[in-house]
Amino acid sequence: MQKEIKHTWHFNQSPQVVWEYLTKPELLEQWLMKSDFQPIVGHKFKFIGNCNDDGKAAALCEVMEIKPYTRVSYSWQTNSLTDNKPFNSKVVWTLIPNDKGTELRLVHDGFTMLEDVVAHNDGWTRIGNKMVEFLNVVKI
Amino acid sequence: MTAQTPDAFQVIADPSRRQMMQLLSKDSMTINALAENFDMSRPAVSKHIKIMYNAGFISITDIGRERYCTLKQEGFNELQDFIDYFDKFWIGKLKKLETLLNNKSKEK
Repeated sequence: MQKEIKHTWHFNQSPQVVWEYLTKPELLEQWLMKSDFQPIVGHKFKFIGNCNDDGKAAALCEVMEIKPYTRVSYSWQTNSLTDNKPFNSKVVWTLIPNDKGTELRLVHDGFTMLEDVVAHNDGWTRIGNKMVEFLNVVKI
Repeated sequence: MTAQTPDAFQVIADPSRRQMMQLLSKDSMTINALAENFDMSRPAVSKHIKIMYNAGFISITDIGRERYCTLKQEGFNELQDFIDYFDKFWIGKLKKLETLLNNKSKEK
């Protein structure tokens, strides 16, 4: 059952450099969004959309994990595209050093409502495949 | 034909409807059998079923005197669009980060 977003990206820079771009608001703003992120577990922050959002938060977040140069994760509460119901999820960045630089892995999953709908593996054997068809989310 | 059809997210925002879909994911069920699982009036159950039906999450088949509900793909497509949207969002952002970092390397 795929209901998560996964991406792996390669950078020539060291994890230290990539880490800065993941954790410094002034650098985050350059490629992701404006935010008041701080690398402190439990810190609540938001990402503000760059365009025509009237400064409205694009995502309300809370830092869940900080492991310098290795891993940062935060909850990501956003609204669905079509109404204003909050929708919870989780974003995890993992940095893996290699001889060419850094492998950056992104996992965005834990979409609460989807989890409920497709939840719990028990009793799913028979209809599992059916649901995979239904929610055949992007696979790597 | 209905004036207001709730979208996929409004449909699954309701815990009872999510539970109904979970039950239906195991097998098709009659409306009566479905209603037995919920502590709510029959009209309330029918209302939820109508909402799921209108949004394309279930189909209803009359067999004899019973009405059977079956899960249907259509309603789930919109949920997938949501995931797809985020997928594209992140690809775009990561490309931007890549460009930034590449330019940074060139400066040095």
